[in-house]
Amino acid sequence: MEDLDLPQMKREVESLQYQLAINRVSSITVTELVKWIEGCVCDDPFLNPELMRANPWVEKGKCVIL
Amino acid sequence: MGEMEELRKEADNLKDQITEARKVVQDTTLQEAVAGTTLVGRVQLKTRKTLRGHLAKIYAMHWGTDTNCSKLCVSASQDGKLIVWDTLTTNKVSAIPLKSSWVMTCAYAPSGNMVACGGLDNMCSIYNLKGKDGNVKVMRELAAHTGYLSCCRFLSDSEIITSSGDCTCVLWDIETGTEKTIFAGHLGDCMSLAVSPDFKMFISGACDFTAKLWDIREASCRQTFSGHESDINAIGFFPNGNAVITGSDDATCKLYDLRADQELITYQDSGIMCGVTSLAPSLSGRLLLAGYDDFNVNIWDMLKAERVGVLAGHDNRVSCIGVSSDGMACCTGSWDSFLKIWN
Repeated sequence: MEDLDLPQMKREVESLQYQLAINRVSSITVTELVKWIEGCVCDDPFLNPELMRANPWVEKGKCVIL
Repeated sequence: MGEMEELRKEADNLKDQITEARKVVQDTTLQEAVAGTTLVGRVQLKTRKTLRGHLAKIYAMHWGTDTNCSKLCVSASQDGKLIVWDTLTTNKVSAIPLKSSWVMTCAYAPSGNMVACGGLDNMCSIYNLKGKDGNVKVMRELAAHTGYLSCCRFLSDSEIITSSGDCTCVLWDIETGTEKTIFAGHLGDCMSLAVSPDFKMFISGACDFTAKLWDIREASCRQTFSGHESDINAIGFFPNGNAVITGSDDATCKLYDLRADQELITYQDSGIMCGVTSLAPSLSGRLLLAGYDDFNVNIWDMLKAERVGVLAGHDNRVSCIGVSSDGMACCTGSWDSFLKIWN
């Protein structure tokens, strides 16, 4: 903060006033976040092996029987 | 002298008020909310492809998102090349020679039509991938930053946001090549940025140890998140846009709740003593993949804050990481000049 000049310091104070005024929701948001994650886990290919069955990056068999 | 002192006092007072306001809304912690949650089982991802072709350290990579390029990615190396890869075949779709080899960042436009890069040349260069004669050419050079370009991300084919060592972030009009908005406020080099899933906000991480949330159209800083004890090198949005993940030289990652304006948890381990270089959440946000200076990627259970896996395979620092838009693969880029695809 020591490096700021007067105009920068004024802008910093204005910015802090603006940031103080934002609407803060109670941390019930935490429970919502957890629910959201738990709802999406089954769609997450890294956590649901079913979704990785058809893995486009896995080499198919090298030899083809003609 | 007097005015400066008064302003300083007012700033400190406001910061204290913000700390108080945050305490008031804190009625649950993440630890409490997940007390009954089981830890995710060991996550083991294998290297499926190695993308070989760069001749020097890779500094950045970014996946394509459009359905036509969701298996394509772009990488930037200090060998002076941007390479667009087809990760399924490992073929190089484009190998773009750069004017300046000191590149630090690259980005793929959501449309798949363009890529961008920049670095110590202080500029963001935009390349058109879909030129008429098939040649990839520089479309625009966005110059105005007075410091290195650390990161860039497209909002669309006509707008891009950049972060710079000059402590600012800028929203550019690509068509005219001019600055639309300058986002100033960080007190140290801006190292990284990420755009929210709804494209209305972006977050920046800087060497002043803070992360800032910016409203793109209002051109204002909405929130500042502190807590890290060193430079923030990597930043990303949680998949639903309601939280922010940061990675720092202090060897930790942190999760911040945007709506409650609080730090939720720190991802740290006494065995990890090196800086975090890059990070990406998995599709559900349950896993956090973070690249470190010790050549590894650690996989964290984001809810329980414990390590559940490691991606080991690079012979030098992992400098960049990304999860594809369908969540099916993770790509890591390293100073060892290789990119690897894991799942």
